Amino acid sequence: MNKDCSKDWKKIAHASGLGVPDEALERIAQSLDALETDFRPLVASLTPDAEPATVFRPAPPTDEEDAG
Amino acid sequence: MTLLEAAAALRRRETSSAELTAAALQRIERLNPSTNAMQTVMADAARERARQADEELARGEGRGPLHGIPIAVKDLFCTAGVRTTGGSSLFANYVPDHDATVVEWLRAGGAVLVGKTGMHELAYGITSSNPHFGVIRNPWDRDRIPGGSSGGSGAAVAAGMVSMAMGTDTGGSIRIPASFCGVVGLKPTYGRVSRYGGMTLGFSLDHMGPLTRSVRDAAAVLNVIAGYDSRDPTSSRRPVENYVPDLEPSIRGLRVGLPDNFYFDRLDPEVDSAVRAAFRTAESRGAEIVPVRVPDIAAINTVARLILLAEASALLEPHLEQRDRFGADVLSLLDQGRLVAATDYINAQRLRGRMQREFAGLWQRVDCLLTPTTPITAPRIGETTVSLGGVQNEDVRLASTRLVRGINPLGLPAVSIPCGADRRGLPIGLQIVGPPFAEALILRIAQALLPGEAPVPPI
Repeated sequence: MNKDCSKDWKKIAHASGLGVPDEALERIAQSLDALETDFRPLVASLTPDAEPATVFRPAPPTDEEDAG
Repeated sequence: MTLLEAAAALRRRETSSAELTAAALQRIERLNPSTNAMQTVMADAARERARQADEELARGEGRGPLHGIPIAVKDLFCTAGVRTTGGSSLFANYVPDHDATVVEWLRAGGAVLVGKTGMHELAYGITSSNPHFGVIRNPWDRDRIPGGSSGGSGAAVAAGMVSMAMGTDTGGSIRIPASFCGVVGLKPTYGRVSRYGGMTLGFSLDHMGPLTRSVRDAAAVLNVIAGYDSRDPTSSRRPVENYVPDLEPSIRGLRVGLPDNFYFDRLDPEVDSAVRAAFRTAESRGAEIVPVRVPDIAAINTVARLILLAEASALLEPHLEQRDRFGADVLSLLDQGRLVAATDYINAQRLRGRMQREFAGLWQRVDCLLTPTTPITAPRIGETTVSLGGVQNEDVRLASTRLVRGINPLGLPAVSIPCGADRRGLPIGLQIVGPPFAEALILRIAQALLPGEAPVPPI
């Protein structure tokens, strides 16, 4: 594994059977590493009560619910 | 001429829809070879629709300010019987059997659709240098990009081909071309305008909105396209209002937020100067300038990027075996998205909810935020990096989206208006962001700062 990289993207892609060529994986690894570096500390700050922003609605909202 | 000026001339019988449409088609014929703004021109259908509009207007059956006005829509809005490519070779021969809601409502308002504008492939980028349908060029300087992904819409409006072209905005794709092309670009609140029939890029991030030559034009279009649509599960039932501001609206007493973090970091000095001048103008009109510390926009940008990577790749994965059908930049992003873990996508959505609550607190202190739209003016075609504020080689895509992307996961309304030019004469964009569903407020402020028409490029 690249020492600057927290994940081995090639191994992940191969294990997932994504069919992304190695040369393409080499090109995107740097971008993914940078995103990972920015994102991981944010995840660490999440508390268990944090719900996702997208929620399943069993029925469409009523006019009153949505207009608020 | 702005859309509302043309509408007034139509009402006074000083012109006709047929004349306006013929003029639009002539201008497209003259300027499209050098800009490539329009991907599909619907000349015959437009002339016929204009003839019908003139007949209706003569019978006193006016349908509102868009009646008889030539317009265009980005080539990802479905148009019944007319090819809709999304800027992709995958859909090069796709002819929908239905109109997108936005198109349907614009047609119902009497607008004359003269064509469909070019765009960045699949709306997934900001250059609008499309590998399948050609490079789109900025009317202010044909060696520069118009921005994107709604680059054709920005270029078409700037070049005066049409007074309004619809765009979409997933991470700045209305506001960036508005900034680079010197026009008005409105991204309404998520849910305010139906997404139905627009080719999706990011389910939870896509917004539809107009690019125009004046603020009041953008508001007049919003009056037509805003409202609940049962075909879009995220459409809002919140009542619509009249969004068109007065010609000289008062902004006295409004609290205009001046961010003291993030938004003024790493700007082209001329952009910084022009945007700060806009604050002085707002203050001179009676607004109160309130310095504020905004929530962590860099973090919101990170969350937005991760969400978009996952949503776009989930949508387009069935096509990814045909790798030669994608441009290199789009394919790279789609490959990245397939490597985003499901847990990370869910955590990004959890972070998004928290950030939304943090941002909501800001609206207790200010009525709106003013920021630059883009930290730079339009880059040259093919330019991949910029150096700003001591940071060398910042990716052009990341620089261009840096100040706009974070507004999408928050779903907030935002408008970009021209606020000056750099030493080369290239337009500079000012972004006004407001609380959810405060379109009327941000358009009022925009009108106070841009009371007339956007500047015209030397073409």
